[in-house]
Amino acid sequence: LPAGLSQWFPALEVLDVSGTGLAEMGTELLSLPCLHTLLAKNNRLGGPGSLPKGLGQAPLARSLRVLNLSGNRFAEVPPALLQLRGLRSLSLGGNRLHGIPPDIQELQSLEFLYLGGNFITAIPPELAKLPSLRYLVLCDNKIQSIPPQLAQLHSLRSLSLHNNLLTYLPREILNLVHLEELSLRGNPLVVRFVRDLTYNPPSLQELAGRTVKTRNIPYAPSDLPESLVRYLSLASNCPNPKCGGVYFDSCVRQIKFVDFCGKYRLPLMHYLCSPECSSPFSSASQSSTSQSESDSEDEASVAAHRMQKVLLG
Amino acid sequence: FRYTRNLVDKGNGKFNLMILCWGEGHGSSIHDHTDSHCFMKILQGNLKETLFEWPEKKGNGEMTKKSERVLRENQCAYINDSIGLHRVENISHTEPAVSLHLYSPPFDTCNTFDQRTGHKHKVTMTFYSQFGERTVC
Repeated sequence: LPAGLSQWFPALEVLDVSGTGLAEMGTELLSLPCLHTLLAKNNRLGGPGSLPKGLGQAPLARSLRVLNLSGNRFAEVPPALLQLRGLRSLSLGGNRLHGIPPDIQELQSLEFLYLGGNFITAIPPELAKLPSLRYLVLCDNKIQSIPPQLAQLHSLRSLSLHNNLLTYLPREILNLVHLEELSLRGNPLVVRFVRDLTYNPPSLQELAGRTVKTRNIPYAPSDLPESLVRYLSLASNCPNPKCGGVYFDSCVRQIKFVDFCGKYRLPLMHYLCSPECSSPFSSASQSSTSQSESDSEDEASVAAHRMQKVLLG
Repeated sequence: FRYTRNLVDKGNGKFNLMILCWGEGHGSSIHDHTDSHCFMKILQGNLKETLFEWPEKKGNGEMTKKSERVLRENQCAYINDSIGLHRVENISHTEPAVSLHLYSPPFDTCNTFDQRTGHKHKVTMTFYSQFGERTVC
Protein backbone atom coordinates (compact mmCIF):
# COMPACT_ATOMS: atom_id res chain seq x y z
CA LEU A 1 0.00 0.00 0.00
CA PRO A 2 1.40 3.41 -0.86
CA ALA A 3 2.91 5.31 2.04
CA GLY A 4 0.92 8.39 2.94
CA LEU A 5 -2.39 6.77 1.99
CA SER A 6 -4.03 7.81 5.23
CA GLN A 7 -2.74 11.37 4.90
CA TRP A 8 -4.12 11.83 1.40
CA PHE A 9 -7.43 10.09 2.06
CA PRO A 10 -8.20 10.29 5.76
CA ALA A 11 -11.92 9.83 5.16
CA LEU A 12 -11.51 6.68 3.09
CA GLU A 13 -14.39 4.25 3.66
CA VAL A 14 -13.95 1.66 0.92
CA LEU A 15 -10.61 0.40 -0.33
CA ASP A 16 -10.38 -2.14 -3.15
CA VAL A 17 -6.87 -3.40 -3.88
CA SER A 18 -7.96 -6.67 -5.46
CA GLY A 19 -5.85 -8.14 -8.22
CA THR A 20 -2.83 -5.93 -7.59
CA GLY A 21 -0.31 -8.60 -6.66
CA LEU A 22 -0.09 -7.30 -3.11
CA ALA A 23 2.02 -9.52 -0.84
CA GLU A 24 1.57 -7.53 2.33
CA MET A 25 -0.52 -4.71 3.72
CA GLY A 26 1.34 -2.46 6.08
CA THR A 27 0.85 0.14 8.71
CA GLU A 28 -0.86 2.51 6.28
CA LEU A 29 -4.05 0.65 7.10
CA LEU A 30 -3.83 1.50 10.78
CA SER A 31 -4.48 5.21 10.27
CA LEU A 32 -7.66 4.94 8.25
CA PRO A 33 -10.29 5.58 10.92
CA CYS A 34 -13.33 5.51 8.59
CA LEU A 35 -12.49 2.40 6.60
CA HIS A 36 -15.41 -0.04 6.71
CA THR A 37 -14.81 -2.14 3.58
CA LEU A 38 -11.48 -3.63 2.53
CA LEU A 39 -11.36 -5.79 -0.60
CA ALA A 40 -8.02 -7.45 -1.25
CA LYS A 41 -8.92 -10.56 -3.20
CA ASN A 42 -6.72 -12.27 -5.77
CA ASN A 43 -3.41 -11.08 -4.41
CA ARG A 44 -0.35 -12.77 -2.97
CA LEU A 45 -1.25 -12.32 0.66
CA GLY A 46 -0.74 -15.13 3.13
CA GLY A 47 2.76 -14.67 4.43
CA PRO A 48 3.82 -13.14 7.74
CA GLY A 49 3.46 -9.48 6.75
CA SER A 50 0.03 -9.81 5.20
CA LEU A 51 -1.72 -7.82 7.90
CA PRO A 52 -0.02 -5.08 9.90
CA LYS A 53 0.94 -5.49 13.55
CA GLY A 54 -1.16 -3.59 16.03
CA LEU A 55 -4.36 -4.15 14.09
CA GLY A 56 -6.29 -4.83 17.27
CA GLN A 57 -5.53 -1.38 18.68
CA ALA A 58 -6.15 0.55 15.49
CA PRO A 59 -9.44 2.35 14.76
CA LEU A 60 -9.83 -0.24 12.00
CA ALA A 61 -10.56 -2.90 14.59
CA ARG A 62 -13.83 -1.19 15.37
CA SER A 63 -14.67 0.37 12.02
CA LEU A 64 -14.02 -2.45 9.56
CA ARG A 65 -17.22 -4.24 8.56
CA VAL A 66 -16.35 -6.09 5.36
CA LEU A 67 -13.09 -7.89 4.62
CA ASN A 68 -12.55 -9.92 1.47
CA LEU A 69 -9.28 -11.86 1.29
CA SER A 70 -10.46 -14.53 -1.16
CA GLY A 71 -8.09 -15.86 -3.76
CA ASN A 72 -4.91 -15.40 -1.75
CA ARG A 73 -2.44 -17.80 -0.17
CA PHE A 74 -3.44 -17.96 3.46
CA ALA A 75 -2.59 -21.33 5.00
CA GLU A 76 -4.09 -20.26 8.29
CA VAL A 77 -6.40 -17.52 9.46
CA PRO A 78 -4.04 -14.74 10.55
CA PRO A 79 -4.46 -14.13 14.31
CA ALA A 80 -4.43 -10.36 13.72
CA LEU A 81 -7.65 -10.71 11.75
CA LEU A 82 -9.45 -12.04 14.80
CA GLN A 83 -8.98 -8.67 16.49
CA LEU A 84 -11.34 -6.97 14.05
CA ARG A 85 -14.23 -6.95 16.46
CA GLY A 86 -16.56 -4.95 14.26
CA LEU A 87 -16.29 -7.31 11.31
CA ARG A 88 -19.63 -8.33 9.81
CA SER A 89 -18.52 -10.02 6.61
CA LEU A 90 -15.39 -12.10 6.09
CA SER A 91 -14.34 -13.99 3.00
CA LEU A 92 -11.34 -16.25 2.86
CA GLY A 93 -12.59 -18.33 -0.06
CA GLY A 94 -10.07 -19.94 -2.36
CA ASN A 95 -7.09 -19.89 -0.01
CA ARG A 96 -5.09 -22.73 1.50
CA LEU A 97 -6.68 -23.03 4.92
CA HIS A 98 -6.47 -26.40 6.63
CA GLY A 99 -8.56 -25.46 9.60
CA ILE A 100 -10.55 -22.78 11.38
CA PRO A 101 -9.10 -21.38 14.62
CA PRO A 102 -11.33 -21.66 17.70
CA ASP A 103 -10.69 -17.97 18.32
CA ILE A 104 -12.94 -17.26 15.37
CA GLN A 105 -15.49 -16.76 18.13
CA GLU A 106 -13.83 -13.40 18.82
CA LEU A 107 -15.58 -12.00 15.75
CA GLN A 108 -18.83 -11.57 17.61
CA SER A 109 -20.40 -9.28 15.00
CA LEU A 110 -19.87 -11.67 12.12
CA GLU A 111 -22.92 -12.23 9.90
CA PHE A 112 -21.37 -13.61 6.73
CA LEU A 113 -18.49 -16.08 6.63
CA TYR A 114 -17.22 -17.50 3.35
CA LEU A 115 -14.61 -20.26 3.65
CA GLY A 116 -15.37 -22.22 0.49
CA GLY A 117 -12.58 -23.65 -1.63
CA ASN A 118 -9.98 -24.41 1.03
CA PHE A 119 -8.62 -27.62 2.57
CA ILE A 120 -10.54 -27.49 5.81
CA THR A 121 -11.01 -30.90 7.42
CA ALA A 122 -12.90 -30.06 10.58
CA ILE A 123 -15.08 -27.36 12.10
CA PRO A 124 -14.36 -26.19 15.64
CA PRO A 125 -17.41 -26.09 17.90
CA GLU A 126 -16.40 -22.53 18.82
CA LEU A 127 -17.71 -21.46 15.42
CA ALA A 128 -21.14 -21.89 16.94
CA LYS A 129 -20.51 -19.05 19.37
CA LEU A 130 -21.17 -16.46 16.68
CA PRO A 131 -24.65 -15.23 17.58
CA SER A 132 -25.21 -13.09 14.50
CA LEU A 133 -23.97 -15.51 11.86
CA ARG A 134 -26.54 -15.69 9.05
CA TYR A 135 -24.61 -17.09 6.11
CA LEU A 136 -21.97 -19.78 6.46
CA VAL A 137 -20.24 -21.12 3.36
CA LEU A 138 -18.04 -24.20 3.78
CA CYS A 139 -18.38 -25.78 0.33
CA ASP A 140 -15.49 -27.36 -1.55
CA ASN A 141 -13.46 -28.37 1.47
CA LYS A 142 -12.51 -31.70 3.08
CA ILE A 143 -14.90 -31.59 6.00
CA GLN A 144 -15.77 -34.99 7.44
CA SER A 145 -18.18 -34.04 10.16
CA ILE A 146 -20.27 -31.19 11.51
CA PRO A 147 -20.14 -30.60 15.25
CA PRO A 148 -23.62 -30.75 16.78
CA GLN A 149 -22.90 -27.44 18.52
CA LEU A 150 -23.44 -25.73 15.17
CA ALA A 151 -27.14 -26.01 15.97
CA GLN A 152 -26.56 -23.13 18.37
CA LEU A 153 -26.18 -20.74 15.47
CA HIS A 154 -29.63 -19.34 16.05
CA SER A 155 -29.37 -16.71 13.33
CA LEU A 156 -28.21 -19.05 10.59
CA ARG A 157 -30.22 -18.63 7.37
CA SER A 158 -27.97 -20.26 4.83
CA LEU A 159 -25.51 -23.12 5.14
CA SER A 160 -23.43 -24.29 2.22
CA LEU A 161 -21.79 -27.69 2.68
CA HIS A 162 -21.64 -29.08 -0.84
CA ASN A 163 -18.59 -30.95 -2.09
CA ASN A 164 -17.17 -32.13 1.21
CA LEU A 165 -16.60 -35.52 2.82
CA LEU A 166 -19.66 -35.66 5.03
CA THR A 167 -21.19 -39.05 5.62
CA TYR A 168 -23.53 -37.98 8.37
CA LEU A 169 -25.25 -34.87 9.67
CA PRO A 170 -26.04 -34.44 13.35
CA ARG A 171 -29.78 -34.45 14.04
CA GLU A 172 -29.24 -31.21 15.96
CA ILE A 173 -29.03 -29.51 12.61
CA LEU A 174 -32.82 -29.60 12.63
CA ASN A 175 -32.71 -27.15 15.52
CA LEU A 176 -31.56 -24.41 13.22
CA VAL A 177 -34.92 -22.69 13.33
CA HIS A 178 -34.26 -19.99 10.80
CA LEU A 179 -32.33 -22.11 8.29
CA GLU A 180 -33.76 -21.54 4.84
CA GLU A 181 -31.06 -22.83 2.56
CA LEU A 182 -28.93 -25.90 2.80
CA SER A 183 -26.69 -27.39 0.12
CA LEU A 184 -25.43 -30.91 0.58
CA ARG A 185 -24.63 -32.29 -2.86
CA GLY A 186 -21.33 -33.94 -3.51
CA ASN A 187 -21.11 -35.52 -0.06
CA PRO A 188 -21.09 -39.26 0.58
CA LEU A 189 -24.07 -39.02 2.89
CA VAL A 190 -25.61 -42.24 4.05
CA VAL A 191 -29.11 -43.34 4.89
CA ARG A 192 -28.64 -42.78 8.59
CA PHE A 193 -29.46 -39.07 8.46
CA VAL A 194 -32.89 -39.74 7.07
CA ARG A 195 -33.62 -42.42 9.63
CA ASP A 196 -32.88 -40.12 12.55
CA LEU A 197 -35.38 -37.61 11.29
CA THR A 198 -38.29 -39.98 11.48
CA TYR A 199 -37.51 -41.26 14.98
CA ASN A 200 -38.09 -37.92 16.63
CA PRO A 201 -41.36 -38.31 18.58
CA PRO A 202 -43.27 -35.22 19.68
CA SER A 203 -43.04 -34.13 23.31
CA LEU A 204 -45.90 -34.63 25.79
CA GLN A 205 -46.51 -30.91 25.69
CA GLU A 206 -46.82 -31.06 21.95
CA LEU A 207 -49.21 -34.00 22.08
CA ALA A 208 -51.37 -32.24 24.68
CA GLY A 209 -51.34 -29.04 22.65
CA ARG A 210 -52.39 -30.87 19.52
CA THR A 211 -55.30 -32.48 21.36
CA VAL A 212 -56.48 -29.13 22.70
CA LYS A 213 -56.41 -27.64 19.24
CA THR A 214 -57.78 -30.46 17.12
CA ARG A 215 -60.63 -31.12 19.53
CA ASN A 216 -61.34 -27.44 20.02
CA ILE A 217 -61.16 -27.73 23.78
CA PRO A 218 -62.13 -24.28 25.04
CA TYR A 219 -59.72 -22.40 27.25
CA ALA A 220 -59.35 -18.85 28.50
CA PRO A 221 -56.18 -16.98 29.45
CA SER A 222 -57.18 -17.33 33.08
CA ASP A 223 -57.16 -21.12 32.81
CA LEU A 224 -53.53 -21.52 31.87
CA PRO A 225 -50.12 -20.03 32.60
CA GLU A 226 -49.26 -17.30 30.11
CA SER A 227 -46.51 -19.40 28.60
CA LEU A 228 -48.94 -22.17 27.68
CA VAL A 229 -51.47 -19.72 26.26
CA ARG A 230 -48.69 -18.38 24.06
CA TYR A 231 -47.63 -21.91 23.14
CA LEU A 232 -51.14 -22.85 22.05
CA SER A 233 -51.31 -19.75 19.90
CA LEU A 234 -48.31 -21.01 17.94
CA ALA A 235 -50.15 -24.00 16.51
CA SER A 236 -49.66 -24.37 12.80
CA ASN A 237 -51.78 -26.39 10.45
CA CYS A 238 -50.35 -29.41 8.79
CA PRO A 239 -49.63 -28.49 5.18
CA ASN A 240 -51.26 -31.65 3.94
CA PRO A 241 -54.68 -30.46 2.76
CA LYS A 242 -56.26 -33.78 3.65
CA CYS A 243 -55.10 -33.64 7.24
CA GLY A 244 -56.75 -31.53 9.87
CA GLY A 245 -53.83 -31.89 12.27
CA VAL A 246 -51.76 -29.16 13.85
CA TYR A 247 -48.20 -29.10 15.08
CA PHE A 248 -46.20 -26.88 17.38
CA ASP A 249 -42.62 -27.85 17.30
CA SER A 250 -40.83 -24.92 15.79
CA CYS A 251 -37.65 -26.93 15.47
CA VAL A 252 -38.36 -27.94 11.94
CA ARG A 253 -39.65 -25.28 9.61
CA GLN A 254 -39.14 -24.88 5.92
CA ILE A 255 -35.72 -25.65 4.65
CA LYS A 256 -35.01 -24.87 1.03
CA PHE A 257 -32.34 -26.94 -0.61
CA VAL A 258 -30.53 -24.47 -2.79
CA ASP A 259 -29.33 -26.88 -5.42
CA PHE A 260 -32.70 -26.81 -7.10
CA CYS A 261 -33.92 -24.69 -9.96
CA GLY A 262 -34.98 -21.32 -8.67
CA LYS A 263 -36.64 -21.62 -5.31
CA TYR A 264 -37.86 -24.88 -3.96
CA ARG A 265 -39.60 -25.24 -0.69
CA LEU A 266 -39.62 -28.46 1.24
CA PRO A 267 -41.33 -28.39 4.59
CA LEU A 268 -39.89 -31.03 6.88
CA MET A 269 -42.75 -30.30 9.21
CA HIS A 270 -44.62 -33.31 7.91
CA TYR A 271 -42.82 -35.44 10.39
CA LEU A 272 -44.37 -33.57 13.22
CA CYS A 273 -47.99 -33.90 12.39
CA SER A 274 -48.26 -37.62 12.28
CA PRO A 275 -46.38 -40.51 10.75
CA GLU A 276 -49.57 -41.46 8.95
CA CYS A 277 -49.90 -38.04 7.43
CA SER A 278 -48.82 -38.35 3.86
CA SER A 279 -46.68 -35.81 2.10
CA PRO A 280 -48.27 -33.53 -0.53
CA PHE A 281 -45.39 -34.74 -2.68
CA SER A 282 -47.10 -38.03 -3.40
CA SER A 283 -45.19 -41.15 -4.27
CA ALA A 284 -46.20 -40.61 -7.91
CA SER A 285 -43.56 -37.94 -8.27
CA GLN A 286 -40.80 -40.29 -7.13
CA SER A 287 -39.19 -37.46 -5.36
CA SER A 288 -36.48 -39.34 -3.63
CA THR A 289 -33.26 -37.48 -4.05
CA SER A 290 -31.35 -39.29 -1.44
CA GLN A 291 -27.64 -39.40 -1.14
CA SER A 292 -28.04 -42.96 -0.05
CA GLU A 293 -25.14 -45.32 -0.19
CA SER A 294 -27.22 -48.27 0.86
CA ASP A 295 -25.87 -51.60 -0.15
CA SER A 296 -28.70 -53.94 0.67
CA GLU A 297 -32.15 -53.84 -0.88
CA ASP A 298 -33.70 -53.69 2.58
CA GLU A 299 -31.96 -50.43 3.36
CA ALA A 300 -33.04 -49.01 0.05
CA SER A 301 -36.70 -49.79 0.50
CA VAL A 302 -36.74 -48.54 4.09
CA ALA A 303 -35.07 -45.37 2.99
CA ALA A 304 -37.11 -44.81 -0.15
CA HIS A 305 -40.33 -44.10 1.70
CA ARG A 306 -38.80 -41.63 4.10
CA MET A 307 -36.54 -40.06 1.58
CA GLN A 308 -39.38 -38.78 -0.47
CA LYS A 309 -39.77 -36.26 2.27
CA VAL A 310 -36.16 -35.26 2.57
CA LEU A 311 -34.21 -33.59 -0.15
CA LEU A 312 -30.50 -33.54 0.20
CA GLY A 313 -29.94 -32.01 -3.20
CA PHE B 1 -28.14 -16.54 -0.31
CA ARG B 2 -28.25 -18.35 -3.62
CA TYR B 3 -28.34 -17.48 -7.28
CA THR B 4 -31.20 -15.22 -8.31
CA ARG B 5 -33.43 -15.33 -11.39
CA ASN B 6 -34.39 -11.90 -12.62
CA LEU B 7 -37.00 -11.64 -15.36
CA VAL B 8 -36.26 -9.05 -18.02
CA ASP B 9 -38.83 -9.70 -20.75
CA LYS B 10 -41.78 -11.99 -21.36
CA GLY B 11 -41.80 -11.61 -25.15
CA ASN B 12 -45.59 -11.45 -25.40
CA GLY B 13 -45.80 -14.93 -23.96
CA LYS B 14 -43.42 -16.40 -26.54
CA PHE B 15 -40.30 -16.51 -24.39
CA ASN B 16 -38.81 -15.66 -21.05
CA LEU B 17 -35.65 -13.58 -21.02
CA MET B 18 -33.92 -13.42 -17.67
CA ILE B 19 -30.66 -12.59 -15.98
CA LEU B 20 -29.21 -14.98 -13.43
CA CYS B 21 -26.83 -13.68 -10.81
CA TRP B 22 -24.55 -16.24 -9.24
CA GLY B 23 -22.58 -15.52 -6.09
CA GLU B 24 -19.32 -17.32 -5.37
CA GLY B 25 -19.93 -21.04 -5.04
CA HIS B 26 -23.55 -20.94 -6.20
CA GLY B 27 -24.84 -23.74 -8.35
CA SER B 28 -28.07 -25.14 -9.69
CA SER B 29 -29.42 -28.63 -9.41
CA ILE B 30 -29.42 -31.01 -12.36
CA HIS B 31 -32.52 -30.06 -14.29
CA ASP B 32 -34.42 -30.49 -17.55
CA HIS B 33 -36.01 -27.78 -19.70
CA THR B 34 -39.63 -28.82 -20.06
CA ASP B 35 -39.51 -29.26 -23.86
CA SER B 36 -38.28 -25.72 -24.46
CA HIS B 37 -35.27 -24.21 -26.20
CA CYS B 38 -32.75 -22.75 -23.79
CA PHE B 39 -30.04 -20.28 -24.69
CA MET B 40 -27.51 -19.04 -22.19
CA LYS B 41 -24.90 -16.32 -22.56
CA ILE B 42 -22.27 -15.46 -19.98
CA LEU B 43 -22.28 -11.74 -19.27
CA GLN B 44 -19.76 -11.74 -16.46
CA GLY B 45 -17.45 -14.29 -14.88
CA ASN B 46 -17.46 -18.00 -15.70
CA LEU B 47 -19.97 -20.80 -15.34
CA LYS B 48 -19.31 -24.51 -15.42
CA GLU B 49 -21.89 -26.57 -17.29
CA THR B 50 -22.02 -30.32 -16.65
CA LEU B 51 -24.16 -32.34 -19.05
CA PHE B 52 -25.89 -35.51 -17.92
CA GLU B 53 -27.68 -38.31 -19.74
CA TRP B 54 -31.34 -38.79 -18.94
CA PRO B 55 -31.60 -41.46 -16.27
CA GLU B 56 -33.13 -44.87 -17.06
CA LYS B 57 -36.90 -45.16 -16.55
CA LYS B 58 -36.66 -46.40 -12.99
CA GLY B 59 -33.45 -44.62 -12.25
CA ASN B 60 -31.60 -46.22 -9.43
CA GLY B 61 -27.97 -45.55 -9.98
CA GLU B 62 -25.58 -42.68 -10.25
CA MET B 63 -26.42 -40.46 -13.21
CA THR B 64 -24.05 -40.54 -16.16
CA LYS B 65 -22.00 -37.43 -16.79
CA LYS B 66 -21.71 -36.74 -20.51
CA SER B 67 -19.34 -33.83 -20.51
CA GLU B 68 -18.42 -30.65 -18.72
CA ARG B 69 -17.03 -27.32 -19.80
CA VAL B 70 -16.35 -23.89 -18.41
CA LEU B 71 -18.12 -21.14 -20.27
CA ARG B 72 -16.23 -17.86 -20.35
CA GLU B 73 -17.50 -14.31 -20.65
CA ASN B 74 -19.56 -13.73 -23.81
CA GLN B 75 -19.72 -17.42 -24.65
CA CYS B 76 -23.11 -18.91 -25.49
CA ALA B 77 -24.61 -22.32 -24.85
CA TYR B 78 -27.78 -24.04 -25.95
CA ILE B 79 -29.65 -26.99 -24.55
CA ASN B 80 -32.99 -28.74 -24.89
CA ASP B 81 -34.40 -31.97 -23.51
CA SER B 82 -33.27 -34.05 -26.48
CA ILE B 83 -29.68 -33.03 -25.80
CA GLY B 84 -29.85 -33.94 -22.15
CA LEU B 85 -29.84 -32.47 -18.67
CA HIS B 86 -27.36 -30.13 -17.07
CA ARG B 87 -26.09 -28.55 -13.90
CA VAL B 88 -24.77 -24.99 -14.03
CA GLU B 89 -22.43 -23.71 -11.34
CA ASN B 90 -20.24 -20.77 -10.50
CA ILE B 91 -17.23 -22.64 -9.21
CA SER B 92 -15.28 -19.50 -8.43
CA HIS B 93 -14.73 -18.62 -4.79
CA THR B 94 -13.66 -15.11 -5.66
CA GLU B 95 -15.83 -13.87 -8.53
CA PRO B 96 -19.57 -13.64 -8.99
CA ALA B 97 -21.04 -14.53 -12.39
CA VAL B 98 -23.93 -13.19 -14.43
CA SER B 99 -25.70 -15.00 -17.25
CA LEU B 100 -28.49 -14.17 -19.70
CA HIS B 101 -31.06 -16.88 -20.38
CA LEU B 102 -33.67 -17.18 -23.08
CA TYR B 103 -36.33 -19.88 -22.79
CA SER B 104 -38.79 -20.44 -25.59
CA PRO B 105 -41.59 -21.30 -25.06
CA PRO B 106 -41.55 -20.01 -21.48
CA PHE B 107 -41.97 -22.51 -18.64
CA ASP B 108 -42.25 -22.21 -14.89
CA THR B 109 -41.87 -25.79 -13.79
CA CYS B 110 -39.13 -28.27 -14.44
CA ASN B 111 -37.73 -31.47 -12.99
CA THR B 112 -34.68 -31.60 -10.78
CA PHE B 113 -32.66 -34.78 -10.51
CA ASP B 114 -30.64 -36.38 -7.75
CA GLN B 115 -27.24 -37.15 -9.19
CA ARG B 116 -26.83 -40.24 -7.06
CA THR B 117 -30.07 -41.99 -7.93
CA GLY B 118 -31.53 -40.35 -11.01
CA HIS B 119 -34.79 -39.76 -9.21
CA LYS B 120 -36.59 -36.68 -10.39
CA HIS B 121 -38.76 -34.16 -8.66
CA LYS B 122 -40.96 -31.52 -10.20
CA VAL B 123 -40.37 -28.01 -8.98
CA THR B 124 -41.89 -24.63 -9.63
CA MET B 125 -39.43 -21.92 -10.52
CA THR B 126 -39.76 -18.43 -9.15
CA PHE B 127 -38.22 -15.06 -9.85
CA TYR B 128 -36.20 -12.96 -7.46
CA SER B 129 -37.23 -9.88 -9.42
CA GLN B 130 -39.30 -9.04 -12.48
CA PHE B 131 -38.61 -6.07 -14.72
CA GLY B 132 -36.39 -4.60 -12.04
CA GLU B 133 -38.89 -4.97 -9.20
CA ARG B 134 -38.23 -7.35 -6.35
CA THR B 135 -40.77 -10.17 -6.34
CA VAL B 136 -42.32 -10.57 -2.91
CA CYS B 137 -42.95 -14.23 -2.20
